[in-house]
This record gives sequence, structure tokens and C-alpha cells, in this order.
Amino acid sequence: MRCGDFKETYVKDEEIFQSVFVKFWLVLFFIFLFGIPWLVNEYILYIANLIGFAIIGAVGLNLLTGFTGQISLGHAAFVGVGGYTTAILMTKLNFSFWMALPCAGFVAAVAGLIIGIPSLRVKGLYLCMATLAAQFIFEFIFIHWESLTHGIRGINVPAPSIGDFALDTEKRFYYLTLVIAILAVTYARNLTRSRVGRAFVAIRDRDLAAEIMGISLFRYKLTAFAISSFYAGVAGALWVSFMRIVTPDHFPFHLSIQYLAMIIVGGLGSVLGSIFGAIFMILTPEMLNVLSGALSEMIPGMGQLFIPMKEVVFGALIVLFLIFEPLGLAEIWRRIKTFFLLWPFSY
Amino acid sequence: MAPYKDVFPAVALFILKSGKLIMLGGDDGGYHSGLRAELRFANPMAKTVAPIDKEGDIMRKFFILIIIMTSGMFSVAGIECFAADEIKVGAVQPITGRFAFAGVQINQGLEDALMMANEEGGINGKQIKYIMEDGTYNVDKAVAAFKRIMAKDKPIIMYGESTGLGKAIAPEVRDRYKVLYSSTSFSSELADAAANPYVFVPGPTYSDMFGILLKYIAKEKPGANVAFFYSDTEFGRDPVPYGRKMCKKLGLNLVAEEVAKVGGVDVASQVLDLKRKKAEYVIFQGFVLSPVSAVIKQARDYGLKVKFMGTHWGTHKMLLDKMGPLAEGYLGVMPYAFYYQDDIPMIKKIQAWNQKHHPDVKYRPTSYMQGFMTGLVFVECLKRADKAGDLTGEGLVKALQSIKNFDVGGLMAPISVVNNKIPMGRVYKANVGKKQFEPISDWIRTD
Repeated sequence: MRCGDFKETYVKDEEIFQSVFVKFWLVLFFIFLFGIPWLVNEYILYIANLIGFAIIGAVGLNLLTGFTGQISLGHAAFVGVGGYTTAILMTKLNFSFWMALPCAGFVAAVAGLIIGIPSLRVKGLYLCMATLAAQFIFEFIFIHWESLTHGIRGINVPAPSIGDFALDTEKRFYYLTLVIAILAVTYARNLTRSRVGRAFVAIRDRDLAAEIMGISLFRYKLTAFAISSFYAGVAGALWVSFMRIVTPDHFPFHLSIQYLAMIIVGGLGSVLGSIFGAIFMILTPEMLNVLSGALSEMIPGMGQLFIPMKEVVFGALIVLFLIFEPLGLAEIWRRIKTFFLLWPFSY
Repeated sequence: MAPYKDVFPAVALFILKSGKLIMLGGDDGGYHSGLRAELRFANPMAKTVAPIDKEGDIMRKFFILIIIMTSGMFSVAGIECFAADEIKVGAVQPITGRFAFAGVQINQGLEDALMMANEEGGINGKQIKYIMEDGTYNVDKAVAAFKRIMAKDKPIIMYGESTGLGKAIAPEVRDRYKVLYSSTSFSSELADAAANPYVFVPGPTYSDMFGILLKYIAKEKPGANVAFFYSDTEFGRDPVPYGRKMCKKLGLNLVAEEVAKVGGVDVASQVLDLKRKKAEYVIFQGFVLSPVSAVIKQARDYGLKVKFMGTHWGTHKMLLDKMGPLAEGYLGVMPYAFYYQDDIPMIKKIQAWNQKHHPDVKYRPTSYMQGFMTGLVFVECLKRADKAGDLTGEGLVKALQSIKNFDVGGLMAPISVVNNKIPMGRVYKANVGKKQFEPISDWIRTD
């Protein structure tokens, strides 16, 4: 009877797939993920795509905020930079999507590098304000640089395609989102257990101590900003080519807050947490919408009451989560796993 | 029927069961049991072990609640009601969010028009089913709601909540869904029969409204000095290029374009600019309440002799209520009749309907009329398409384009659909004493 994992080396302890069981379940899970489009309708797939973009964005923000401890209120701006870069490259310079996608990431990363510079001087709430400024600066640029961004009217973007095969339905796009999300998550997970990841955590826990140990704050803080913005840019590129339009309205300040909420609800400093957070923040409002719609259909005349209530319920859910599990959904998941480790023979 | 509907209740049940196991098992894995063992070891006298902390219990209950809700939702989503000979009309309405003040009314108006048609015998005997979802005035969520309705109910007519949703969904409406689509938006970009044959605007676009006002000005005072005062949003900028062109065409003198924030109060510099450039007529666009009253107040304080005008969202009772005596002389263009114009047969009908079905409603704003008018056009399209035996999106578009001089009981003058819109409106003047708008022009067309 298996009653635990005994590790003899640190390398073993840092492994991602710690046992055969994990690998087995993971393979099953991937088969499930790739099979989803055959089980569900376009609406669920649309939501699945949105969750995918949110996961990429949230993992990026978690690398910056959760691992490196640099809070950012401008994440939506970088998503926007990625989105606009894709739209402009694809429509003005006739780039293919496959070229525009990495470019979007890199342009966003450069933007992130620049916005990250104040982080070398300021911390905490002050850095909050500095990154908040980024949000407003980029929003202003999106609206007013009309020759490039077409201002408020936005740009229509063609769907990505492989040869003549256009990824213009939710189903086809889902696979693109899935593959990129898997790549993004894998990279992030590996990064966190590398030298760079450890440097990030050291900076988060005590930046002075980290500097004394020989970790270059300049280098790693900016690296964190660049990687985080790269993720945001890729999320934006996908979002824009999925919706096939980009306007400044799509990257408002509250999207930045939403990303922050995702990683806090999911669990700061946990890649898995960002995934849970993204799923929670996208799925819950949708479910509440379905529920309130169904309720008001069942009890006619009460729609005016039920429909606005979902906002209240959503807010209350977040507060309850933070009170009862400050470590986020990732911690809940860990406890569930621990429970099943010995189930049903736990004493 | 999509297979997920069978799958989800089963999955939900499984989650529910395993969820109960996890949460109610009285044990949350090694951690607490280990703790209990230690306690027993440390205190052999203790017969019973201290119960697990209360907080954990609450959390368990909370999670069970969530799981039950989740599974409930999916089962509810899976239920489908089928009725023979039912025509489905879907709508994504801004019931919550920034635009809710109008969305609730638009929704009610649209629903009432469709239900009225049902009561009068439906579409050649078929009943209309109205399916509404909240879009929260957020593009992502609105598109999600749109797709949810399309996946679940496959209606042949859809109604949308915003310009943003319209733009995002227009290509798919054209190439994939092929449903007749109308929305709360009067954006001129959407009313383009060539590019978006399925999209229709139930009135004049903002550009047309500007055209109507400018025509009125040109008639009242040829060569007058005109200024535009708009918000820095899509809503505000939409008709401005067309307005510039019309000014030139009508020989009006466009002296100033002022831009202000929605809800802003500091408008002194713009008002001074209006004074300096000797504007005689100012047209507002892109505001609902603020800063219209602030601009008018300051203009009066500076002694400006300017006539202020508004388009659809600037011509409503709320504005008059807020401005009081300041509204003296305020003009607005409105494509629909007002609720208090009870000499109009359709208004009488609407009033009777509201007395019967919503007895505590005293007034219906213009947004309600907008929804109602949309409903009337939908019903007429359905009737014509059904008669032609082509009850599909294409059939409805054909029916829409065939509407010529159709009588809507005075809610508008007899309507003709031109380029998928109804480019017609009337100029109204504020009556400060009654807090009402009164028509001062006949119906003006821009086509």
C-alpha cells in the first residue's frame, strides 16, 4: 500500500510530475482538454477560449506580482499593446498571425521594460501608482493616435489561418489557445524552479537581502516586467484575433483589476493558482448569469431583481474566498489532493 | 441538441457526490488527522478529541453550497422547453452596468411590443417567444450572452445591447448566424446595408439626427454659426464627420468643435470658446446628463445667446427634470413620440397596455419607445416573411427592405426602411412649465 512519496534528493523534490499517478491523471486531463470541442457547443467553447486568454495573462501577472512581488495595475495596458501590435501588423504590414503573435509579445515586453523602470526606485503602493500611470498613458495612446490605431472606431482584424484553413470558429481557435496556454504555463512553471525563478522569489521576500546575496535587482526586476508583459502581449494578440476587432474599450482599467483579482483569488506565487483564478473569474459571472436568467424565467416578473443580484453575489463570493482561504484556490486544491493521497484509508 | 446537456448534469452529480465526500468526510487529509493523533498522544487523558476548528466547517458548508449551485446551474441550462410553432426572438440587454438606466426600459419596450403582437394573434397564428440575457454592457460578456442564446435557442432575430457588441458580432452575423439583428445603437457605422445586410437601426442614426437638426437650423436661420459639443467617446464622435459635411452642404458656418468628458463639470474653457467664436447654435452629442446642464448654466451666466440642441440621448424627460428653468429654449431631435402625447393612437395603446400589465408605471421614457418601435418592426418583418413562407434570416432581411410607408400608429410617421434604417425625426422644444418636450417641426427626413 502506497502511503506517501519519499524523496531522497532535492532534484526529486523539485520535479513537476512527482509520480506515475500524476502523469497518468495529467495525460487523461490533456485528452479531456483536447476532446472538449467534441462534447460542448460554441458558447462553452467561446468561454473556454476566454479562459485560455485569461490564464495566459494571469500567469504572466503572477510571475511579476506573485513571484517577484512587484504589484502592477497596468496589466491590461500590456494586453492592449499586444492586441494593437497584432492588429496593426496584420492589417497595415500584412504580417501573418504567426509572425504577429511573437512580435506582439516582444513589443509588449519592451513596453513592460520601460514601465518597469520605476520599480527600481519605488515599491508597494508607490509602484502601484507608477504602473497605474501606464494604464492611462496607453489608453490615451490607443484612443488618440488615430492614424495608427483608428481611434475609438478600432481596427478589424482577419482571423489567423494555416494556408487556406482559417481559424475562424471557436472550435478551431480553441486548439490554438490551448496549445499556447499549455506552452505558457509550462514555461512559467519551469521558470519558477530555475535560477531566475529563485531570484524572483528572493527579491519578493526581501530585496535588500537578495541584492546582498548577489542577485542583480536591476536585471531581475526588469526581467520580471518583460516576461510578464510578454505574456500579456500574447494574451492580447490571441484575444484580438479571436474577437477580430480591437477598440480601446477592450482594455479598460478594470481589466487590470480583474487580472489582479484572478491571481489573488487563485493564489499569489502559484502558477496553478493563476489558472484556477482565471477560471474562477471568467466562469463564475457566466454561471451566475445563467442562473439569474433561469431564475427569472422560472419566477416571472422577478427578473429585474435577480439579474442585478449576480454582481452582488459575485462580489460576496470573492470576499468569502479571501476570508476563508487567504492562500487562494491553489491552497484548497492542495488540501483536496492531500485528502485523496491516502483516501479511503486515511486514519 | 448539443450533447453537453446530457453530460453536464451527470458530471455535476459526480462533482456533487465527490464534493460531499471531500467536504463532509470529517477529515481533510493528513494534516488534521495527524494533528488529532498528536493531541491524543500529548494528552492521554482526553477521551474525545477537540473538534476541528469551526472555520473549516463553515468553509465546507460554503463549498457544498457552491457545488450545489454549480450543478444546479448546469442542469437548469440543460433544460429546454419546446413548443410547436414558436418564433424565437433573442436579446442581449444591458440590464446591469453603465447603460442599465436605459437598458431596462428598452428591454421592457421590446418585450411589450412582442407580447402585444402575441395577444393580437401572433404571427399568423404563431406565438413569439422572447429570450433575454443580460450583457452587462461589457463586450466580452455580451458576446458570450449572444453566443449562449444562439447555441441554446437558435432564434431568427437577435437584439444587441451596445455599439461595441454590434461591431464585434457583425461579421459573424453576416457570415455565420444570418439572423436579423438590431440594437440599442444608432451608430452610423452599423447602418450599412451593403456591408451588414442583417443589421438594422430602428430609427435615424446619430448622423441622420445631426442632419435633421442642421436642416432645421438652415431653415430657421440660413448661414448661422453652429458649434458641435461632443464627448470623447465613440458615441460622441460618431456623427461629427457627417455633421461637418452637412454644414458645408447646407451653407452653415461651423465655428467650433468642443470636446468634453462625460460627466465632467469644468467646462468654462469650452463655454468661453463658444462665446469667443460667436456660436448661435450648439449641438450636443455623446452625453446623457452631465455636463449638458453645466454648459447651459455657464453659457447663461456669461450672457450667451445660444440655442442648445441635443440628439436622441439628449432629448429626454430626465434632462428637463434636472435642469428646471435652465432648459428654456432647449431643442432636441427625437424619432419617436413621447409617452404623454396621448392624442396619438399608438401611444394610447401603449398606455392602455401599461395600465393593464404594469399598473404602477406612470411614465415610460424615450428608451422604452425605442425598444417598442424595434419590436413593431420585428413583428412586421416576421409577418411579411411568414407570408412569403421564408421565415429565415434572409427572408426577414427581404421583408425588412420591402417596408415602405408602413403605418406605426403615429409612434413615427409612416416608415420606409432606407439602407436598413429609418432616417426620420422631429424637432421638439422643451416646455419648462410642463417639463415636457413639444414638437415644433413636422417630420424631417434626410434620405
